[in-house]
Amino acid sequence: MASVVANGNRDGQSLVLKGVDPETCMIVFKNHWAQVVKILEKHDPLRSSSALPSLSVINLTASSSGSSRFGPIPGDEASAVQNYVEHMLFLLMEEESGQAGAMGPILEFVVMENVMERLFVWSLRREFTDDMKLEQLKMYEMLVGQARQPLLHHKPILRPLMMLLSSCSSTTAPAVEAELVLLLNQLCYVLAKDPSILELFFHTSEDQGATNFLIFSLLIPFIHREGTVGQQARDALLLIMSLSAENERVAKHIAENTFFCPVLATGLSGLYSSLPTKLDVPNEEWHCLHKEDWLQMPSLIQFLNSLEFCNAVIQVAHPDIRDQLVSYIYNGFLVPVLAPALHKLTLEEVMTTTAYLDLFLRSVTEPALLQTFLSFILLHRHENVHILDTLVSRINTPFQLGIVSLALFRTLIGLYCEDVMLQLVLRYLIPCNHMMLSQRRVVRERDCYSASAAKILALTPSCCSPDRSPPPLRQLDSILFSKGGETPDNSGNTEEKKSFSEENDGSGNSCTIGSEIYLDVSYLHYLYDARLSISSCIRACQVWSAPYDGEDPPPEKYQPAGSCVPPGTDPLPVNQLELEWDDSYDACPVQTADASAERGPPQPPPAEPPKHIQEMRRTARMLVKGSYIEENDFQDDVMVYDLIAKKDSGDVERTGKPSGSQTEETKPGSAEVPLKNGLNLTVPSPAMVDNSSNSLDAKANGQTDCNANLQNTTAVELGDDLLAQYEELIRTLDHEAGGKPVKADGEVKKPITPVEVVVVEEDEMDFASFSAETPEPEKLHSPFGTINRFRSGSATKNNSLPFTGPFISVLLSRLENMLSNSLHVNLLLTGILAQLAAYPQPLLRSFLLNTNLVFQPTVRSLYQVLAIVKNQIEELAASKKDFTELITAAQHWLMAREPSGGSSGSNHQEGGRILKNSPPPKPKAISLERTEVFATVLFTEFLKELAAIAQEHSILSYIPMEE
Amino acid sequence: THSTWSLPCATGLLLRSTEQSGHGEQRASPARMPFGRKQLPPIPKNAAPITKPSPLGTPMQSANGTHASYGPFYLEYSLLAEFTLVIKQKLPGIYVQPSHKSALMWFGVIFIRHGLYQDGVFKFTVYIPDNYPDGECPKLVFDIPVFHPLVDPVSGELDVRRAFTKWRRNHNHIWQVLMYARTVFYKINTTDPLNPEAAVLYEKDVQLFKSKVVDSVKLCNSHLFDQPKIDDPYAISFSPWNPAVHEEAKERMFTYKRRPEDHHKVSQASGLSWVKPGSTQPFSKEDNPPQS
Repeated sequence: MASVVANGNRDGQSLVLKGVDPETCMIVFKNHWAQVVKILEKHDPLRSSSALPSLSVINLTASSSGSSRFGPIPGDEASAVQNYVEHMLFLLMEEESGQAGAMGPILEFVVMENVMERLFVWSLRREFTDDMKLEQLKMYEMLVGQARQPLLHHKPILRPLMMLLSSCSSTTAPAVEAELVLLLNQLCYVLAKDPSILELFFHTSEDQGATNFLIFSLLIPFIHREGTVGQQARDALLLIMSLSAENERVAKHIAENTFFCPVLATGLSGLYSSLPTKLDVPNEEWHCLHKEDWLQMPSLIQFLNSLEFCNAVIQVAHPDIRDQLVSYIYNGFLVPVLAPALHKLTLEEVMTTTAYLDLFLRSVTEPALLQTFLSFILLHRHENVHILDTLVSRINTPFQLGIVSLALFRTLIGLYCEDVMLQLVLRYLIPCNHMMLSQRRVVRERDCYSASAAKILALTPSCCSPDRSPPPLRQLDSILFSKGGETPDNSGNTEEKKSFSEENDGSGNSCTIGSEIYLDVSYLHYLYDARLSISSCIRACQVWSAPYDGEDPPPEKYQPAGSCVPPGTDPLPVNQLELEWDDSYDACPVQTADASAERGPPQPPPAEPPKHIQEMRRTARMLVKGSYIEENDFQDDVMVYDLIAKKDSGDVERTGKPSGSQTEETKPGSAEVPLKNGLNLTVPSPAMVDNSSNSLDAKANGQTDCNANLQNTTAVELGDDLLAQYEELIRTLDHEAGGKPVKADGEVKKPITPVEVVVVEEDEMDFASFSAETPEPEKLHSPFGTINRFRSGSATKNNSLPFTGPFISVLLSRLENMLSNSLHVNLLLTGILAQLAAYPQPLLRSFLLNTNLVFQPTVRSLYQVLAIVKNQIEELAASKKDFTELITAAQHWLMAREPSGGSSGSNHQEGGRILKNSPPPKPKAISLERTEVFATVLFTEFLKELAAIAQEHSILSYIPMEE
Repeated sequence: THSTWSLPCATGLLLRSTEQSGHGEQRASPARMPFGRKQLPPIPKNAAPITKPSPLGTPMQSANGTHASYGPFYLEYSLLAEFTLVIKQKLPGIYVQPSHKSALMWFGVIFIRHGLYQDGVFKFTVYIPDNYPDGECPKLVFDIPVFHPLVDPVSGELDVRRAFTKWRRNHNHIWQVLMYARTVFYKINTTDPLNPEAAVLYEKDVQLFKSKVVDSVKLCNSHLFDQPKIDDPYAISFSPWNPAVHEEAKERMFTYKRRPEDHHKVSQASGLSWVKPGSTQPFSKEDNPPQS
């Protein structure tokens, strides 16, 4: 029977049967069956015990060997049966159902005679090899797929099918698996079309004593399989999932009696563990995983397939299954796998995990699954710190981790999720303590005359004034308010032009707005974008629970616990340049009356950043400085090496000290050394250390020593004595660091060049690191953590000080350093701020955009920071002769980049090429290293963007909506 | 008679000239991201660079810190704000619509439903000074000079200034002018009239005054179907009831709910919230699936 299928002549056969009358078919069928039965009975051990000489079992199964259970069956008999069955199956398949849906005569005969089961037993009797299974599966696949009448309603057909399926459950041969899944897939389609069969599937399985609902259980092992098999299995499972939504029994069975959900969730964990722990970042502007990135990574594709499947299951399945799955994903993947992965020890690993998380958030669409991810981020505590706080703190890390973290937050903000916005920003604004008490009414005030936009635009640096830009950069035109001629969508209405000139309607009323003034056309684009962005935000936020307008939720109800500074009094000044890095740990969560009731006992704010954060901070700090000399304690060997590797791999150039050294890539030059703790560590080759020590600005003497030390370390055979060498190294460093006095010069310097920024940060960080990491117990247990000590003037930055939250704080801090940020950081940063500004909630809108709102002295506003940056730019422009020229070059560069932006890999070499080919005037070439120049251009554009958002808010947020 | 007029379109004024050109600056933006393009839009394809020197000559006059070249934007948005305020007021019997050509000129019509001027349908135009909101108060001119003590019998201008002797930004709004225009037809004031004849008649011979008003109302209504006085696509024009045209429009008006989402459908799905109303705790809604 099998060869029919193997020959693949299904269509040919069906043609042959056309026109043959049913009675003839029936007679043929019966005759064939009679012949088959003869052979079957001959070999039935119950009827005959005759053992014939052994021959090859069946022609097709050449690979089969060994003896069959009940004695061998002669080849000619086997192939005779096969031939008969072949024909019989076609007759069955082609038979139409009888009148009023009754069985056709052949089917009736099959059911009465129990043909299928007897055939199955026959095949069992012979060697039941993989090939045999394969053929049987194909036979049923054909029957199920092509029969013209419903077959599965009949137990005599269904039962042998189930027996076959269960006998295949333990198979491992890929071909059998593929056929099994294909058949299961087809069965699920039949089920989906005709749920009445469902009952039979349950009953049949019970008879069989196998797992209830066998076809489902059989599919589970294939959930995470890659390729077609996995896809078919997942498709089939999804069909059952949507069945479950309507069928309580199926839902209950899946949720209670199968391992579907745990398998699905833990499978994610398994697949996740096979993802690369470190990504090869193509360039430093890279900040998130795009499709073209992950298409290159088969393991990531596979993970995303499974995640997508989870998403789909949650979408269609019964709520019981959905809840169970979501819970398993939370407790079986996010908490045990993703949380630790987010807290790995090296920057690259953490950066990689962050990029994965960002990608996952962008891939998930089902609200319930998104909620799971989000509640993990917002509520889960890893080592007593909310994941969110950790992520926020990382925005301020230098290099890739900071950029990737920014991209993650761009994703989070783009979800328009109330819970996210509440935790990130709104809860700090609800008490309204960030503004003077008298200002609360201003929150909802409408800026009727674009006063804020005007104030923001007035910050435009003089070197970027629209009047200064030469064409074609200056997109000034008069098309705007004279709606007659030039508007592009004006469908050739020339009449209008005429009428426009006759504007004065005889009564001497001039109705012309600014037609004599040349206007910045690009501003129109910003207005248009602002309008789209705000209106979609408004629409999205309609599902939110409150308007956040300074009245609802009521500020009085949500005052921070222990607030002792009455609003209006001037709190102690806080150093403007303090690092937001630290803020996330002593930021007080808003304590509310209902909070404790809802969420259990209030958790004490963590007194101290947890270990991993300290580690991260240290690594980052060392990276910033380009030196690790101040460290007095190398608890983590990995970091030492990783640090150097990182430093060597080109970050030197970024910190603004380019020197003659064209450092090689880290990877090829480094060696992976397995450590006893199971971590791999990247050790730079001696040559590279050499390089780096030469290339680095040798401002610290100790640094060179240190490199020399490492050079020794790495030059020697790495292996068992590695630890001994660490100790040696640590001793040396301890000695050096020990004698170093603690610097506490809280001198405030305006960061102007990248180098200076580094210096300022470094001084402050030093102090923190010293106090935080000195292993004296009393320091570790100090109630406010050690960070507070270096804050000049203020005893503590405790709950009572108005504070707009770590997120805002860290964003503004990075914005303040705009001039030293890379172009891509600034693009992300301004993108995030613009998106935040598009939110319609008056609390947020007024905080970011209302330039008339009077804040508490300790609160920094966006406008304030923008003003600082403007001043930095003006100083810079005054001190550099060619600044205007550079601005023009940067504008050209960005302009040239624009059209190529959509295509892949618009790195700066490419941009440069475009620039060279672009028509005259030939602009001056500009290096991306001139961050301050690019930042100036972006700053100017950002002002326009913000002003446009402010203007659109004054309209869109006030359009009355009728019920 | 039934008439139709088009509902004002609140915010389509300014931005009709911009098309959604697919700037793809940030390849960064993944699918979900609405951030799309940012900064530095491309040079418009068919816009030749302006080589003419800027009429302003010197860079940036920043009188009180305002960028001169953005002034028109501020003005336009101030007027848009005014217009949304008008919509919000839902003034009974008053409809206005900014002209297509200029946001400084609004077309309006007022329906008087009782009193001396009952059944009057008066079309008018509002002229807003171009130094709004720092200039004088807007002018309101009726298309046909209504017989009224405060309406100039020649120009048709309503004496608005008596109600707004000094136009104060933040305090005075255009809807108040419209409101005032409505009030004058219900509460007749005869002091310092622009139409002394009407004032005197009202004081001395109300019956004659009334009949003059009736004549005036008739005259106005007889010109209802005239072409608009000012040729503008957004000018308010009336036409006799025509079921073929108006029935469907009427139907739409009664079922139409003006919501922003109906105006411009953007693909972005709805936002998310699991916050219980009255709470500020994330995931405080009860229907949350349990996480642990």
